[in-house]
Amino acid sequence: MSGTVVLAAAGGALVAAGVALVLERSLSRLVVGMLVLGNGVNLLILTGGGPAGRAPILHGVPPGADRRPMNDPVPQAMILTAIVIALGTAAFALAIAYRSGRLGDSDDDDVRDDIEDRRVTRGRHELRTQVRARRREFREWSREQRGQIRGARRELRAGIRAERERRAVDDPGDLDDGDDESGSDR
Amino acid sequence: MLLLFAVHCAAAAVAPLLVRGLGRNAFLPLALVPAAAAVWALPPWLDGAAPRAESHAWIPGLHLELALRADPLAWMMVLIVGGVGALIVAYCARYFEAAERGLGGFAGQLLAFAAAMLGLVLADDLILLYVFWELTTVFSYLLIGFDSARAAARRAATQAIIVTTFGGLAMLVGLIMLGRAAGTYRLSEILARPPGGTAVGVALALILIGALSKSALVPFGLWLPAAMAAPTPVSAYLHAAAMVKAGVYLVARFAPAFAGAAVWRPVVLVLGALTMVLAGWRALREHDLKLLLAYGTVSQLGFMVVLVGAGTRDAALAGVTVLLAHALFKAALFMVVGIIDHATGTRDLRRLSGLGRAAPVLCGTSIVAAASMAGVPATLGFAGKEAAYEAFIGGRPVLLGVLVLGSAFTAAYSLRFLWGAFARKHGADELSAYRIEALLLAPPVVLALAGVALGLLAAPLDAPLSREAAAYPADGHGGYHLSAWHGFGEALLLTAVSLLVGAGLFFAGRVVVRLQRRIVFVEPADVYAGLMRSLNHLALQVTGAVQRGSLPGYLVVILLTAAGLTGSAILLGRPWPTPAPWRLWDGPAQAMVAVLTVAAAVAAARAHGRAQTVVLAGASGYGVATLFVLQGAPDLALTQLLMETASLVVFVLVLRRLPVGFPRTRPKSRYRLHVAIGLLIGLLATGATLLAAQARRAVPIAAGFPGAAEKAGGSNIVATVLVDIRAWDTLGESSVIALAALGVTSMVFARRRASVPPRAADAASGTAVWAVAGMTSVDAAFRGEPSPRGRDWLAAGPTLAAERRSIVFEVVARLTFHTVLLFSLYLLFTAHSAPGGGFVGGIVAGLALVVRYLAGGPFELAEAAPVDVGRLLGVGLIITAGTAFCGPLWGSAILESGGWDPHVPLLGHVHLATSLLFDAGVYLIVIGLMLDVLSALGAEVDRQAGTEEAG
Amino acid sequence: MNQLLPLPVLMPLLAAGVKITLGPRHPGLQRVISVTVLAAVLSVAVVLLVRADRFGPQTVQVGAWPAPLGVTLVADRLSAVMLTVSAAVTLCVMVYAIGQDVADADRRTPLSVFHPTYLLLVAGVADAFLAGDLFNLFVGFEIMLMASYVLITLGGTAARVRAGTTYIMVALLSSMLFLIAIGVIYAAAGTVNMAQLAERFQALPSGITLLAELMLLTAFGIKAAVFPLSMWLPDSYPTAPAPVTAVFAGLLTKIGIYGFIRAETLLFPGHATRPLLLAAALLSMVVGVLGALVQVDIKRLLSFTLVSHIGYMIFGVALGSAAALAATVFYVLHHITIQTTLFLVAGLIERRGGSTSLHRLGGLARTAPLIGLLFFVPAMNLGGVPPLSGFLGKLGLLQAGLADGGAFADVLVVTAVGTSLLTLYALVKVWNQAFWRVPAEMPGTSAEAEDEGAAPPSVRLPAAMVGATVALLALSLAYTAAGGPLVSLTERAAAELLSPAGYIQAVRPQEPGGPS
Repeated sequence: MSGTVVLAAAGGALVAAGVALVLERSLSRLVVGMLVLGNGVNLLILTGGGPAGRAPILHGVPPGADRRPMNDPVPQAMILTAIVIALGTAAFALAIAYRSGRLGDSDDDDVRDDIEDRRVTRGRHELRTQVRARRREFREWSREQRGQIRGARRELRAGIRAERERRAVDDPGDLDDGDDESGSDR
Repeated sequence: MLLLFAVHCAAAAVAPLLVRGLGRNAFLPLALVPAAAAVWALPPWLDGAAPRAESHAWIPGLHLELALRADPLAWMMVLIVGGVGALIVAYCARYFEAAERGLGGFAGQLLAFAAAMLGLVLADDLILLYVFWELTTVFSYLLIGFDSARAAARRAATQAIIVTTFGGLAMLVGLIMLGRAAGTYRLSEILARPPGGTAVGVALALILIGALSKSALVPFGLWLPAAMAAPTPVSAYLHAAAMVKAGVYLVARFAPAFAGAAVWRPVVLVLGALTMVLAGWRALREHDLKLLLAYGTVSQLGFMVVLVGAGTRDAALAGVTVLLAHALFKAALFMVVGIIDHATGTRDLRRLSGLGRAAPVLCGTSIVAAASMAGVPATLGFAGKEAAYEAFIGGRPVLLGVLVLGSAFTAAYSLRFLWGAFARKHGADELSAYRIEALLLAPPVVLALAGVALGLLAAPLDAPLSREAAAYPADGHGGYHLSAWHGFGEALLLTAVSLLVGAGLFFAGRVVVRLQRRIVFVEPADVYAGLMRSLNHLALQVTGAVQRGSLPGYLVVILLTAAGLTGSAILLGRPWPTPAPWRLWDGPAQAMVAVLTVAAAVAAARAHGRAQTVVLAGASGYGVATLFVLQGAPDLALTQLLMETASLVVFVLVLRRLPVGFPRTRPKSRYRLHVAIGLLIGLLATGATLLAAQARRAVPIAAGFPGAAEKAGGSNIVATVLVDIRAWDTLGESSVIALAALGVTSMVFARRRASVPPRAADAASGTAVWAVAGMTSVDAAFRGEPSPRGRDWLAAGPTLAAERRSIVFEVVARLTFHTVLLFSLYLLFTAHSAPGGGFVGGIVAGLALVVRYLAGGPFELAEAAPVDVGRLLGVGLIITAGTAFCGPLWGSAILESGGWDPHVPLLGHVHLATSLLFDAGVYLIVIGLMLDVLSALGAEVDRQAGTEEAG
Repeated sequence: MNQLLPLPVLMPLLAAGVKITLGPRHPGLQRVISVTVLAAVLSVAVVLLVRADRFGPQTVQVGAWPAPLGVTLVADRLSAVMLTVSAAVTLCVMVYAIGQDVADADRRTPLSVFHPTYLLLVAGVADAFLAGDLFNLFVGFEIMLMASYVLITLGGTAARVRAGTTYIMVALLSSMLFLIAIGVIYAAAGTVNMAQLAERFQALPSGITLLAELMLLTAFGIKAAVFPLSMWLPDSYPTAPAPVTAVFAGLLTKIGIYGFIRAETLLFPGHATRPLLLAAALLSMVVGVLGALVQVDIKRLLSFTLVSHIGYMIFGVALGSAAALAATVFYVLHHITIQTTLFLVAGLIERRGGSTSLHRLGGLARTAPLIGLLFFVPAMNLGGVPPLSGFLGKLGLLQAGLADGGAFADVLVVTAVGTSLLTLYALVKVWNQAFWRVPAEMPGTSAEAEDEGAAPPSVRLPAAMVGATVALLALSLAYTAAGGPLVSLTERAAAELLSPAGYIQAVRPQEPGGPS
């Protein structure tokens, strides 16, 4: 026993279209999407019921009309129930669409985001910008520091070189000249 | 023992009433309860009675039983908790002002805490121990936060409960692991035969975390100093005498059996010693007397944990003695600080001057208590320290040195306390003499004197105390005996050294302060604050990222999760069957219709106009109906056809109030993502169904249905299944339809309106329904006088705006309405043998009403169905549920259909079954829904639109 | 005697029919009917529990049609005990709603909406618990969902409609996924009767059963608000009226958990999806509680803790051992009661303090000490403070987790403990800000105003509301007092779940003879 590929494919395509519609912002597209999705799912359940066959009616059918075995009534019953429930939910969803249309400021019936969540997300955004700003400051500050250290080191090396040259020029005996130019007050 | 605990709980419950009655004096009778506990514990502790145990089953499934056991250590703890508790409760009688707010609750919480503490020391079941452990934490939270107006008190209370609960929960996991490793949760049995192994090691580490966090040792000690925001009696009782001792008690309990464990000594000794030194050092810097004592307590707790956790008999003896001594002198000192705060209004030692002379008795008490703290000879503190030095002289020199240094700090901050509280200081104004109420002064005096008295009577005390240390393994040289004076030995020398160093440290005050500033330690308070801030940042990051708040976002996540799971199931499971013959289609017609249906659906998805989308979706619905017919499901096709029509009608009713096009053009990228997700889901659903269909081996239950339908007396199997065999589903379905009607009503009717819609007769003349604004109709003149009744095709014809009326539509409506109703009844009755049934009939009747409504407007609808929607729905539900009930009346199962074959003259032989009645109920409900939708989304929307335009 | 089984569904249905016929004109009569019917449902549920506990699963074939054809209703210990607690909770919430006069919105509509919808919700819940048939479980879900759509958008205010839309669309999608799963299962096994499915799944290739299991668990996961599928809950629950949110929080998610337990023990006994469930449990716990820490509104905070504690139950189900299942069942019972109580108290706070936002609340401990007590005990219970039922549930789970010994299970144990701590922290923060903190500008309650003793005009809370909340609190305390027998009941339930043979034998599905 295996399902009919065409029927399943049609069901799958309807499910795809339904899902594409459901993911929209506008409420009426959402409701249409739900209906199309419902139809697609019903087709999929039907393929589970096996091959097409004679209508599941016992007597009262003119003989010789259709020799094929009866189609499986169980998925049919389930699908019938699902269709009726889809009608109920569609009616209610449309009432919601009407209500949100009337309540909303503009006439469109778009699904708006949750205020509390926006507040939390904004809080997170502010926090991230703060953290990034502080990190940037820290990086600049450390770059400056490195610059200063390199500068200080260069001066120091220059100082030592000058010292060595000076000492190489003077004779060692001359101890008491004021070596203020290499004063160690730094 | 259980009785004692029950008495404590009763007292806690009664306390608020007592306080409301007697005011603050209620504390005096309440003090008798902990006193009773002390009196109960004293005799067995003194004369060393055998340990008593009792146990009652509570929840065997979770290894939780009310097992209580009292042994020497427990008796001493009860003595402390009861004795010191009684004095402190009496102290409260005078400490609080008469009209203090919330005193009743405070008294109750204090007594409840005493009960929990009592339970903790007596508990013999590991989980019961944890129960009381957490209860003390909760009550300490409430007590610390007593004057809740101050933010500091609230913050301190929160910090206390979080840190101690963290430790508690870690301990709980440790206790469970220990219980599982030992095979029993009974503490006494575990200690008798301690289990070994790595799991026990981990368990012990976790238990130690719990104990150390409760006794506020170094890594977890950050909550105790902050907890000084509590009222002084609470600090004296919880944070000196009772709660913080719970950790020491637990270490004392586990040490004899587990001191040998690898993890035990390093953790206990190192952390204990470290705490003693650091806290002592920190205490030297404090200006607030209470904080000074708080750090002193932390340091002493470290000292006790070292002694009790060392695992040798002598050290344990010393530990137990210090524990008793500490309870006495620290509670007394806290009460002294309470009195000072009460009298002078400040606790800052820089502003207290000359109090020594102003309150000589207070000064004396403090000196005695501080002496015991510093370990001056002739006090119990000294006896304890002596025993401690004696215990470690042979063994661990380094530890001994640390203890001496710690004692030196103790001596230093004792002196600082005395000097701070009572000495005369230049620059601070002199305090005049101040009389302290006797009852307020009595408790500290009693405790201080007890410290000294027991110090002198150390020898007789040795017997009960050493019984507590009996469980420890004796190490080498013969048991050390406690006594007030051991003569000049090494121990005395060490005591002298520590006292001298302490005095030196005190007098060199300024050096110490400068040294302090250079070695800056991490402030415990801001460690906690930092932790909490990073926790909040993490929470903000996670929630901000996850909880976006947009519906499409959620749907995308849900669909992707579903696709991910199904896809991985298909890829991993590889449910590819052996290459069975794939049946492509059941006939060319099916393929063609399928292509058309899919084309319509895809067009609907891409359509820009609202009406366009709806109509295309309707078309795909009709395509599906055709597929049902080809598949061999006539019932299904009929229902699908009618359901699509009905939903189209409802769509049109709503769409006329909404703008034609969709306002915002869809961003391309998001739209492509949506289509991609749709395709993915569609593909996976198709694949799953086909693979499942391939894999079926068993005979489907459908085989049994023809026989069952035969038995039920119906030839249309699907209809019979719906109303008889699986009638329970249909019952549920019909209630969903009723709910939909209720929902539509609650959404549309925002304001009160009569339940039965206004009839044509009472429509105000001259109001033209659906008048098209600004359209001048040709026969405006005719609108004036209503034509004589009977000449119009529709009852409510004239109420319609002239430009809306179409004669053809009215004629068609009039002719078809009754025949369609008859046809719907036919559908209801033929269900047994031909496609039909309650749902189909209901929708057909509904569509008849739609035609009349569209032809004649809201008042015409009222004429067509002058019945209250609620009654229709209600009666329908009653019938369907009622038929289910009447099954058992005939002695058969619920919802079983009974047959009845009357011979009706006109119609001949008729087979009536209860399932028909059930179907009629469904019929009524569906009509109720259609009528409700029309009257709500149709008539009411017109009315609201009318008032809006008029308004 | 098995005729009792359909009654918990039929009685509310019949009563709803009567109420709709009555219309909004007789509010007094409506209330009497509601309370009597719910009391009757509770008593039937208790009788079922006693019989199921003593004689094993109680079954009835509706309409006397043999098992696989007709619909079978089954009440084993799990469904009976959950039905009993749900009935008790719905009765208390109804009394609360009558006290709060939620039904006053009805006077504006021609149909009485609240009472019948509430009763149909109870009927849907009862049907879901008792369904022995997968498709009937779907129908039970649909009744319950449809009723919840109507209740969540009651009154039609802008906030409720926006939140309601989110809730409805997610629930519709979950129904569609559930329907696809049923289609796949019927295609593979050829039956929808759960007992027969349990047998036939053994014969099917493991790939197919894994596929069916994952599709079912996704549908149940959305309903139970397990992590990746749980973001809709905190946006939609808090906006509904207090009693409605209380019933949703208490019941709807637990139906999803009931589905999880049924799927993991009866239909797919092999632990194929264990690591997946453990991961979902871990994420639900952590993300839920972190969400709770950031919230400012009490109701939203409770919704997040709801999501977090669902993680505990999924953890228990994932472990799958007898002890774990027993702890899970206990935890579910505890959580139904506690979450409902807390939301009812939030309703009281809203009525007394004017709002549930922590910024605007303050000083309630002084102005309304009774509400303080009514909030503190369940909050500590939820935080896992012993000896209340929250602790007992967690204790069972921790013991089961450690007994499992797996590394992942140990990670879960640590997470469970950490989550319990953070839950306590969140609730303590609420206690600090709403009850202890006395905001300076609070008229009449600030410290100096106290001295004149001018107690602020205390808004008198209707007795029915307080009474209902106290009753639920007493129920949760009863879990502690009667801990022993209750835990042994859950252990017997767990044992019964782990041996599906008893369930299958009770339903006795006959294989359809004759040619297919």
